[in-house]
Amino acid sequence: MVRNRKKSRVLKLDLMLLRMIGRSKGQFAAVLTIIILGIAIYTALNMTSVNMNHTVETYYRENRFTDLTLQTAAVPAQEIKTLQRIAGVEKAMGRTSMDVPVITDNLDERVRLRLITDRGEADDLSKSTLLEGKMLSGSGKEILIIEQFANARKIRIGDELKLQISGVQRTLEVCGIVANPEYIYLMENSQAVMPDEEHFGVGYVSEQFGQEAAGLPGSYNEVLIRYEANVDEEGLIKKLEDQLDVYGVKQTIKKKDQFSNAIIEQELTQLDSMANSIPILFLLVAGLILMMMLSRLVKRDRIKIGVLKAIGYRDRQILFHYVKYALAAGVSGGLGGSLLGMLMAGGMTRMYLEYFHIPLLRIEFYYSYLVYAIILSSVFCALSGLIGAKGVLKIAPADAMRAEAPKTGKRILLEKYPIFWRRLSFSNKMITKNIFRNKKRTVFVLAGVTVTYAMMLFTTSMPGVIDQMMNEHFKEFQRMDYNISFAAPISKAAVKDMEALIDAEIIEGKLEYPFELSNGNKKQAVSVIGISSDTTFFTFHDVKGREIDLPRRGMLISQNLSRLLGVGIGDLVRVNSYLPNREDVYIPVRGIIKQTLGMNAYMDLDTMGRQLLEKNVINGVYADSQDSDLNKELLPASNIASIMSIADIRAVYDKYMTMMVLSIGFMVAFSGVLGFSIVYNATVVSLGEREMELSSLRVLGFGKREVFFMILKENQIIAILGILLGIPVGKLMSEYSSAAFSTKLYSIDMSPNGEAMIMAAVYTAVFVILAQLATYRKIQRLDFLQALKNRES
Amino acid sequence: MNVIRAEHISKSYLMGEIEVKALQEASFEIKEGEFVVILGPSGSGKSTLLNIIGGMDQPSSGTVFLYDEEITGYNERQLTQYRRDKVGFVFQFYNIMANLTAEENVELATEISRKPLPVDQVLEAVGLGERKDHFPAQMSGGEQQRVSIARAVAKNPDILLCDEPTGALDYSTGITILGLLRKVNREMGKTVIVITHNSDIAYMADRVIKMRSGRIIDDRVNESPMAVEDIKW
Repeated sequence: MVRNRKKSRVLKLDLMLLRMIGRSKGQFAAVLTIIILGIAIYTALNMTSVNMNHTVETYYRENRFTDLTLQTAAVPAQEIKTLQRIAGVEKAMGRTSMDVPVITDNLDERVRLRLITDRGEADDLSKSTLLEGKMLSGSGKEILIIEQFANARKIRIGDELKLQISGVQRTLEVCGIVANPEYIYLMENSQAVMPDEEHFGVGYVSEQFGQEAAGLPGSYNEVLIRYEANVDEEGLIKKLEDQLDVYGVKQTIKKKDQFSNAIIEQELTQLDSMANSIPILFLLVAGLILMMMLSRLVKRDRIKIGVLKAIGYRDRQILFHYVKYALAAGVSGGLGGSLLGMLMAGGMTRMYLEYFHIPLLRIEFYYSYLVYAIILSSVFCALSGLIGAKGVLKIAPADAMRAEAPKTGKRILLEKYPIFWRRLSFSNKMITKNIFRNKKRTVFVLAGVTVTYAMMLFTTSMPGVIDQMMNEHFKEFQRMDYNISFAAPISKAAVKDMEALIDAEIIEGKLEYPFELSNGNKKQAVSVIGISSDTTFFTFHDVKGREIDLPRRGMLISQNLSRLLGVGIGDLVRVNSYLPNREDVYIPVRGIIKQTLGMNAYMDLDTMGRQLLEKNVINGVYADSQDSDLNKELLPASNIASIMSIADIRAVYDKYMTMMVLSIGFMVAFSGVLGFSIVYNATVVSLGEREMELSSLRVLGFGKREVFFMILKENQIIAILGILLGIPVGKLMSEYSSAAFSTKLYSIDMSPNGEAMIMAAVYTAVFVILAQLATYRKIQRLDFLQALKNRES
Repeated sequence: MNVIRAEHISKSYLMGEIEVKALQEASFEIKEGEFVVILGPSGSGKSTLLNIIGGMDQPSSGTVFLYDEEITGYNERQLTQYRRDKVGFVFQFYNIMANLTAEENVELATEISRKPLPVDQVLEAVGLGERKDHFPAQMSGGEQQRVSIARAVAKNPDILLCDEPTGALDYSTGITILGLLRKVNREMGKTVIVITHNSDIAYMADRVIKMRSGRIIDDRVNESPMAVEDIKW
């Protein structure tokens, strides 16, 4: 058909390029999709990261986030003024903080509220932002509630909140809903695996009410410090600790260790590393595909290249013509991806801010990322194009005019085993030979399927990993149903009282106190847990998985702690108590244990009391109980600080898992796109190269379906090999990730289980088959007579 | 005036361990405006000769001059420039670009030449004025070869090198193509060199160079070239 065409001003080589793209639109679209996805992720995550960092920074600055928190016994108000005079202190502030149970209509429910005093002064540290209602008026009967808790429990302004304070029920009226920079990530303590916003919240009360409730009139149990610029942090902390030593410093928390901030920082770091690693993987795959496509294209276009050289086109002009194909993919992918990424960035930042409850919105579009993205994808693609098309330079015009000599046929390895070889049908022999003949293509598809499978495996193993982590910690490592902490240490005999109070099968007393453990200049504040040597609630395993007993003397420390302190078995660890007038104690490490959640040291209960605290005391119990009224029974007890139910922690985790399914879906789709593109492109290229061969088969009487199934089988064999190879690669990836994701709070072992391996194989197979089906149309359209007539395609 | 002067050119290459002598001591001269047929069976060295004259290959020894300029000493860049400005190629299998129309195929060549002829005029001259917007797949073999000739001529080269230009065509189309080459030679004044194994084509030539086993075995002027339409094979 002839169309009237306006005289084109485009150079003819470029016109050829555009039409070449049009002819291979399926392949081009497949590569483009990968680039767009990679660049969109790059732009979206980077912009989200910058926006998040700026937002958090602004939020911290505007609300005067504290640089240091010192948890103490009781510090008189006048002492704060003394601290204020220490050089390097810009602002010192005292407050009281205590965790109290909330009385709800459902007595089986354990709800805890952290009551913190709020003076409502402009220069206060870690100030709240009022979202709704009004700030405290000073009547002493009002409370400000943190947003996450208010949302989760549907608490409205004017609602009354009943609290159990030191055995007495107190009622406060909710006057406002607030957000606070210390609780962006609302978690009770490091034992809580995830935020449980329905069962733990924070409330801000007047100073007078808080001090009375805590039994600290005129005193504080927390000191907040804001530094002056360029302060020597360690030096200042030392001075502050010395100054407050007489009041008993329980724990010193730097900004970087503050629980919520540490998690936010960690999230942002992970966001950053994802923003730069995932796109590189996508671009690498796109680059590989382009390389393969162009190297095959140059081979196929041998005569065309010869003619162009004969006409007088220079090598670099022709080389650039092919590189432009890759560059077109790079530029359009970079542009499309960065625009998509920008659209996604706004939504993602909003999602993050909502997730973290940050009452600020700083979404800015950083157009520089558009430029970076286009440069990144263009350079990547152009380089791949150069490598792929460099064969242009080797083609001599005179040689190109002659038909290429056929490749020397060789027997493949399998043919040396006639017992096996003779059993194969003709088409199976062809399939096997093809796999071995075109090694580069085989390796490419193999690598593609391997990477796809490895990524799928990584994704599908996530739920199992978390499940296993929870099981390991809460079923194998520690098996109690409840972890009950007392407000103050009491005699060991209290275990008997508890037995009378609650219906429990086993109750064991415990000591759980924060100490600073150090080895030389390596320090870490951790909870040291004292339990009976013959405990039934804990089973300790060393790093090699062998069960070990809790020694009567010395301590067991978790593997992550041993790494942080750089200590091994037999080494002495210095234990520095936060309690006043306590000498440092040196305790030998008797064993290093595996612990998936948290970081602790364990000692025999009596030894710990004797060496670090007082003889025969406990500050809590572990209980094995199916008693659903346990909470109700313990509520009136004045000395109960907290009751942690393992079942509650698991329930939160289950809720989290449903959220995780969505992100797993995304990851599977992303990995699938990679696998699809690789297999689709490799198959299309292979079809182009083998047009003659396939046409001959058609002439011999093979049907279209038979030809298709031959190619399908060929790819299936490679795919199966790819999946098998993907298992160790996926495992390696998981091992690497275990190290990368493990933090002070978690030690993740990401070894995939059987179910994950099967699921990953199923997903990979689905995408491989989809890619194959997409090429079926090309086989349908194969004009075998024309192909046989043509000297070149 | 000599447009091409070849002196003792030889070309040999290694095929495995065997040295193949494709061309041995070939010397000849071609005058400006001549229609030359280089005749010989397969393997006689005629394509090698054409490739050397066309600047696509270099001889192992000997020299080739275009007018008075030696092209055998050219480097890669100079050879490309030479092919760009001085010679036009016509191939047996046309070798036109499948995804460009007739007109665009011609423009592909004119875009890089220094003194191109008007594309429309050349397409009219080869009889493709009406078919210029067609793609190769929509044209017959003869029409494709016309495009190939138009592409070679439009660059306005000094010489036209044609490698078996009728080899893939039927008799009557072949005659039409030869007529067109003759027209280019006579009316545009271009020197045309045709290599072929078809001895009947030699009747229309001004000069016939015969080759066998890499050597020139005959080089003579045809005093009375035959009209194209009288040629039969």
